[in-house]
Formats: sequence, structure tokens, C-alpha cells
Amino acid sequence: MKTNDVILQTVTKITLFIIILFSIHLFFAGHYYPGGGFIGGLMTSGAIVLLLLAYDMKTVANILPIDYKYMIGVGLLFSVGTGAGALLFDAPFLTHAHSHVLLPLLGDTALHTAVLFDTGVYLVVIGVTMTIIQTIGEDE
Amino acid sequence: MAFQILLNIFLAFIWMFLKVSYDPVTFFVGYFFGFLIVFAFRRFFNSRFYILRVIAVINLFFLFIKELLLANIAVLKVILKPRLDMKPGIFALPTELKEDWEITILANLITLTPGTLVVDISLDNKILYIHAMDMGDAQDEINNIKKTFERAIMEVSR
Repeated sequence: MKTNDVILQTVTKITLFIIILFSIHLFFAGHYYPGGGFIGGLMTSGAIVLLLLAYDMKTVANILPIDYKYMIGVGLLFSVGTGAGALLFDAPFLTHAHSHVLLPLLGDTALHTAVLFDTGVYLVVIGVTMTIIQTIGEDE
Repeated sequence: MAFQILLNIFLAFIWMFLKVSYDPVTFFVGYFFGFLIVFAFRRFFNSRFYILRVIAVINLFFLFIKELLLANIAVLKVILKPRLDMKPGIFALPTELKEDWEITILANLITLTPGTLVVDISLDNKILYIHAMDMGDAQDEINNIKKTFERAIMEVSR
């Protein structure tokens, strides 16, 4: 039976953005508070799953034309790249550096290369979750 | 378009509440992240991504400034000419624009182009009657200018 999903779809249209914003907040909170790449990535993919529930697979593929398998690859490259970057400065593998930088608008900002590593984790988590869910979903 | 901007501002405020910091800087950071999210989901909306329209408005503004300068230089040339050898006339220009504000902007822009002036608009908003300072050589060129204006306005409203 086909049901009218108008309420679910309208609510999704707003909540989706709030969930993703919260996941970005979690991602950046990771250094000082609970959070980080893993739950940030899971929550972002949770938002995309909500989109999948409200619409069908084809619509979501049109909205986000992303191949999630490539996303895993890019994420792993990020993580390996930040680890290997330490070797260029004569430091052991996965040594991280950080500094305080005065940015024009943001003021005194602490920049840490661990964030790049976390970005890799974030992308891999989204990629893996979405690949699993899409592969299962496409199975007829 | 208005919905996307409103959503972006709304997301910026949610970011401020999440961070428990009410600086303008936090607002801008939230606006930036909201912008990225709205960009990532741009195909989700019925209308185009709103920054394209903002760029179109800025383009239209600079076109307006450019034409204003050119029009005044052109009129200056005519005034300083010793002989009055131009041939004034009125011609009709069919327009494809529908909305009231689009037609108003087009009419104002035409008035500011070198040597043309909108005299009247037909009752069904389809034809603009334009007074040209020099009919002879200007006809084709002016029509070209109208096409650029009309296209620039359509970019905004599309």
C-alpha cells in the first residue's frame, strides 16, 4: 500500500539540516568534550539514512551524487597522509603537531593536525555506513 | 531562495546555541557551516542554490553602474557636438519578462542606457515604448543591449 509521506518529508527537510549541523558540532567538539570523528560521522550518515527513509533510493542518489566507496578511500588517504606527514619533519609516524594561529576573523585559533586525522575517520565512517545500508537496501 | 537564506540563518543561530557563545564570530562560523550543508544538499530544493542568485544580483548592480557611466558620457558627447544631426524617434520593444518588479527594473535600466528613455508600457505589460535619441544607427545595437539586460534580470528571477 502506498501511503502519503508528506509529514515525514516536510519534517525531514528541516531536521536533516539540524542533525548534520549537530554532527559537525560533535566532530569539532572532539578535542575537549565528548565527540569526534566517529560519532560525528555516524550522525551524519544517520541524517542521510533519515533522508533515505523519507524518500526513495533514487531521489537520494540524485540529491547526493556521491560514490561512498570513494569516500572510504579519500578518508583513508587523509589519515595515512597526516600520519606520513610527520615523516617529512623527521618525526616518528603519526606524530601530531599543533599551534595557535591568529586568523583574520576567528581570532586566536588552535590548529591541530589531529583534526585532519579525524576528518579521515569521519569520511570513512560515513562511507562504510552508507555503503552497508545502500548495498542491503538495493538487494531485492 | 528566501527559504534557503532563512534556513541558513536559522542554522547559524542553532550553532550559536550549541556553542553557548553569542559572538558575531560564532554566528559567522555557524553561517559558514550552514552554507556548506545547504550547498551539499542544493539539489534537495526546488529552486537553485541561493548564492547563484546573489551573484546574479551583484552582476546586475555592476551592469547598472557601468551603463550609468556610459550613458552620461554619451549624452555629454551629444551636448558638446556643434551640429545637432541626430534623428530622434520612438520604437516598441516586446519583452518576455512577467513580474512587475522585473519590468520596472528593465525600464529603469533602459532609461539609463545611452540615448534611450522608456516613455510608456502597454497595458498587458508585454511591450515597452522607448524614445531613442538617435534612431538611425542605434536600433540594432540598442536591441542587443536590451538582450543583455533582459538576460541579466532573468538570471536573477529564474
